[in-house]
Amino acid sequence: MLGLFKRTTPVADACELGRTAVALPVRSGCTVPPAFPVVIVDARGATRRAGAAASKHVELRDGELAYAFHPGPYTVDLLPFAGAPEIGLRTGFAIDAADPHASHQRFDLYLASEAGGRLGLDALAAAMEGALQRELADGGLELPPCATIDEWNAFRLGLNQLLYMRFGVSVDDCVPVDLAGTHDYAAMLAARALAVQAKAPAASPAPATAAAPAADAPALADARALRRLFLELPCLMCGLRLAALPACPELFHRQQALLQRLDLLSVGAGAMPTLALTAPGQALDASEQLRRVRHSRRATVSLDEAWALLARLKGVSPALLAPLYDECERIVANLEADCDGRRRASAEVAA
Amino acid sequence: MNATIGSVECRSLLADGSLLTVSATRRPRAGRAEVKCTAPGDGRLAERMQEVVRLARHTETRFDSRDQVVIGIDHAPAAGERDWELAVVLADRMVRGVWHGHGPVLANGWSDAWHLGRVDGHAVEVRALPDALLGGPGGLAHLGQLSGHPDPAAAVSTARAWFPLHAGGAADSLCWVEVGVYPLGGDAEDEECAIAVPGQDAARQLAVRQALAGARHFDGRTGKGGRWRTTVRFGEPAFQGRSFELALVLADRIARGREFLPRGRLIASGQSAAWHAGRVDTVEHLAPKCALLLREAAPGDRILLPQAWQAQLPAGFADGVRALGASLACVERIGII
Repeated sequence: MLGLFKRTTPVADACELGRTAVALPVRSGCTVPPAFPVVIVDARGATRRAGAAASKHVELRDGELAYAFHPGPYTVDLLPFAGAPEIGLRTGFAIDAADPHASHQRFDLYLASEAGGRLGLDALAAAMEGALQRELADGGLELPPCATIDEWNAFRLGLNQLLYMRFGVSVDDCVPVDLAGTHDYAAMLAARALAVQAKAPAASPAPATAAAPAADAPALADARALRRLFLELPCLMCGLRLAALPACPELFHRQQALLQRLDLLSVGAGAMPTLALTAPGQALDASEQLRRVRHSRRATVSLDEAWALLARLKGVSPALLAPLYDECERIVANLEADCDGRRRASAEVAA
Repeated sequence: MNATIGSVECRSLLADGSLLTVSATRRPRAGRAEVKCTAPGDGRLAERMQEVVRLARHTETRFDSRDQVVIGIDHAPAAGERDWELAVVLADRMVRGVWHGHGPVLANGWSDAWHLGRVDGHAVEVRALPDALLGGPGGLAHLGQLSGHPDPAAAVSTARAWFPLHAGGAADSLCWVEVGVYPLGGDAEDEECAIAVPGQDAARQLAVRQALAGARHFDGRTGKGGRWRTTVRFGEPAFQGRSFELALVLADRIARGREFLPRGRLIASGQSAAWHAGRVDTVEHLAPKCALLLREAAPGDRILLPQAWQAQLPAGFADGVRALGASLACVERIGII
């Protein structure tokens, strides 16, 4: 192991940009063609776009990361319901040029907080599909059987808002498609039956091999979740301030209280204790570490819900604002509970 | 402090023939555990209750950390008896508004995999009480089945839809139709011959076969022989008319993974002389069925009626349904838009 063949960053295949990859990390010193915007993420997670020169020569300071992305357009098939694999939504989307009025670009934030290296089109599509399925299950979006044209239009509007708020992509086309050619439900069910039969006799030898490579996976998941909390909470506060304009004094007080709680949360997220320590020099049990990871993962679920809620708040009539504020209070309460759980060193709670 | 927000009760029959009452209340959490369980004189039983509730909550997407649910049972079942588990899970869902039972709920069932939403079976015979919810195959095999959704882990995809049955006013009720599909292994059998309707007469069997064959032809996947072996069951053994057809066809589409899923139940009334074209024709008894739907609709339900009813719907019906949290559409044809 002389480290002869070690590379600091894996060489990215620039040809896949725009086809299978949406964004690729770029090393310092590279020159990026003018068609591809470059996002630079600094050591504190703040993002900026590289200047609009004819072709961009990327120069990075210490701790900075650069991504070049292809603005699209891309077309992906999303499954709105996990239980209905033969019906999908063929969605065409693109990543817009930087909006000069916005203080931060949502897509840049997505790259900074969640990408962590190459962002494949399949990974982005899977994340979009997850957000869509979750919102349909929670009732934020409605796509019922035999949807009428009005219901479809309302769904499209909600979908556009959701994907713009959550990922910073704008949907330009979305049509229902029959996926029976590629997703054969009968074959899936047959495979499920086989898996059930195969699992019954021999279940013991599998976990031993699977556990070895996943040893540091919880720590990594926790670090990623904390990074998301640290970077996204301030932006969520900013979005809430702009999107949920209160309609009456009572809502104004509720909004102020929510912003204050989010502020405390975001300060707390920046000062989370290390995963593996209870106190300086004192290690924490593995089971308690897993509990902490569980809480930080649940906190990211709340973050997803919060972005989806911001999408619903956009352009809602004042009469419908009160239930959405209640939803917002639920999400903030969940975030508080999970951040508190992540901070604690033991699980005990009063009954 | 206003301690109680809401409270519900759910019953379960014990092996010795006595009724166990599970009561659940909801109150602000105030830094306590999200579920608290109490059982008279038995700490281990309370622990198991809490475990069951926490596991069953894994199948829900929405979590609210602001509430504490307190669940108690009025007397302890015999050691080793587990039929009360389903009643505890349902009480926890009802008190939080996740599921809406109609009338008093009697439920018996146990499971080794509550985190998957599976209900494995029940031990006690509940013959005297016809409205009981019984866990296990043939009854409630999966928690999603409460709103007719297929089990995401089972090899048989089973979906339910409901249709209004008119029986002279007071006895009107919602009846379910259940379609279970299983992939046909080979290519020999004809799909239409592989549709079984146990417990129904020949005329009903023929009607079911023709409706399903027509509606599957509408999918446009012809040739290639059969894909599915199908079993159709009805909640009521005997009834008249053909207004169940729309519910049957949609349950079939949901079971085969080709239809959007409603959040709650799918309630439909409609028939057709041309399912192969996807057309929905009108049915009779508009007024009593609408009155029944207003009584029975729950949040998240999807109600589908024939297009011809659109102009004749009673005043305030659409608003009433919407106020209940359900959605309504009058459709001319099945399928996407």
